[in-house]
Amino acid sequence: MKELPTECCRIVLFVIKDIEAWCPPIRSKTAIRSGLKREFIDPLSKISREYKQLSDSQMQAWEVLANHLKGISYFGKAAEMTAHNAFVRINSNRLLAGKSILMDAPSHISNIPAVVYDEIWVTPSDLIIKGIVHQNDPLRLVIKMSAGLSAGVSSGWSKTVIVSAGIEDDWGDANVRGRYMKVVGFAPAVGDKVFLELYWLNTETGFVGASAFDSKICITSEEAEAEGYVKRNKITMDDIKPDSHVSECDVDFSTGAPVISFDTVCLGHSNVASSEAYLEDELPADCIGTSMALARGMGEGNACFAAQSYIIWLRNSSWDGSSITFAHRGGYYVKPTEVFGPGILY
Amino acid sequence: MFNSTGNNFGAGTIQFKDYQAENYVVLNAKFTYDPTNAAYQGVDTLEIYVPDLSINRSAVAGAILAFQDRYVYSSYTWNNDGGTAIKTWIKDKNTICLEKFTNFDDKGEITIFIQALYPMLNQPGNPIKGTRTRINMTQETRYLYWDSETFCVIFDHWVFLHIGFSSCSYSYRNQPWEAVMEGFPTDVCADVPWIGGSNQYNPSVTGYSLAHVENGVFTCQERMSGFDSTGYDPFIFAFLVRDGENNSE
Repeated sequence: MKELPTECCRIVLFVIKDIEAWCPPIRSKTAIRSGLKREFIDPLSKISREYKQLSDSQMQAWEVLANHLKGISYFGKAAEMTAHNAFVRINSNRLLAGKSILMDAPSHISNIPAVVYDEIWVTPSDLIIKGIVHQNDPLRLVIKMSAGLSAGVSSGWSKTVIVSAGIEDDWGDANVRGRYMKVVGFAPAVGDKVFLELYWLNTETGFVGASAFDSKICITSEEAEAEGYVKRNKITMDDIKPDSHVSECDVDFSTGAPVISFDTVCLGHSNVASSEAYLEDELPADCIGTSMALARGMGEGNACFAAQSYIIWLRNSSWDGSSITFAHRGGYYVKPTEVFGPGILY
Repeated sequence: MFNSTGNNFGAGTIQFKDYQAENYVVLNAKFTYDPTNAAYQGVDTLEIYVPDLSINRSAVAGAILAFQDRYVYSSYTWNNDGGTAIKTWIKDKNTICLEKFTNFDDKGEITIFIQALYPMLNQPGNPIKGTRTRINMTQETRYLYWDSETFCVIFDHWVFLHIGFSSCSYSYRNQPWEAVMEGFPTDVCADVPWIGGSNQYNPSVTGYSLAHVENGVFTCQERMSGFDSTGYDPFIFAFLVRDGENNSE
């Protein structure tokens, strides 16, 4: 366990290099041709403009907050803070987490824990933080990472950018490879050093906790497994082929209980009351079988919120590969339908 | 068995039948609430407060929400009772959450059936495989017919039940129904929601009828009016706690 000892909260000003977090780039030529262009809105200017709309009493409250925050030092240097600074910094944090601008100053009293985790694994195919001690809402995890740097670099934290702008850990895991590839654009190579900064963001107040700083050398998947990395057994959209009939897929086998956990949107196909998820890789042998789960329509058509039951076949086939078939059984068949919750496995 | 210590939506004390393992819990409860209650109207998520559970949070599971909607005419009652599935999860050791599904708040009292297994995720090991047991629904005079997905998966302290209705002999369609569930444990006693049937007055969902399982006998006093409509296949889906002497590990 790694834990950084600090209890003070802080607010962070995100510099322009983190703008991707607000407005992800559209790289697809098709998207650009279709007229879907990136609209650049400088969030700091927007927040600044909002400050001018505050009432006198609201400004006074921000002044009081700024006075409290003045005394908090970070890296040993006392922070200079005006009401406007506090307003912009707190609200830029809130916008980062998808929240609206806070007009009333929050209380300065805040106790946000440091991020505690077991291990970070960096391979060309995996970027995952494991064993994160979960925090409930409104705390969300912010992860900053650098591109792969030379292993000789001793301090690369100034080169980190926000990869996750406020996520909930996935049962102790934060698998950020997809986000990393979107922001950084390329995976680290074996031997590269990746720098990370992690902290909890209180999405209500805009305050953040103390940062945990770490760095990892990228190793091969085989080396990671030899050192104890165990890949979690779950199927997501990253693991299924594009011709599948599901628009969302989260099939989690890591229950250690007599059920599989489903969260899948079935689209149906070819006038058959079932949907297939064709898998890129084989299912583990002990996950082969049949399951039965509850489902509900998603608000389209007749009986749009109908409860249903689905039988689910999990199989590896030498004929047509590995797949998960979601077949309607009870209730009125609706498309699309969300199959969710625990499914008994037999 | 335990009682809730409170809730945020104005319901009374809720009694739970439970089986609590180290990495999952099975909970059974049936309760009602009044959607006109101010407490209910003021919350986004329904929360039930309970004594310490064995797990400190869970993945999402399913519960059933049901309501009554009946139209009384001179010679008969047109039963448009309806229901659907809602999401439920354990937020922390002392809080069970339910999705607030407001579409039927104008129907009066809402009944919730929690017959759910709440799993944890990222646990060591893959799922444990159970054994499917076919339930043979027998009657002295056979008038009920069931589909092939009428089965259970039996564990020491709880059982998963799925029943699929196929058809009923015409002359028995309005009678109370009863069948012996051969193959199903006899130590389960529960009201179970039977979801399905065309619901003309509430077309966004299907019908709801109440069934009961006790001592290995299945009963259902009455069905909603569109119960046997083609394509609306009524089904029961429930994780049910068995009445053992000690169901906590």
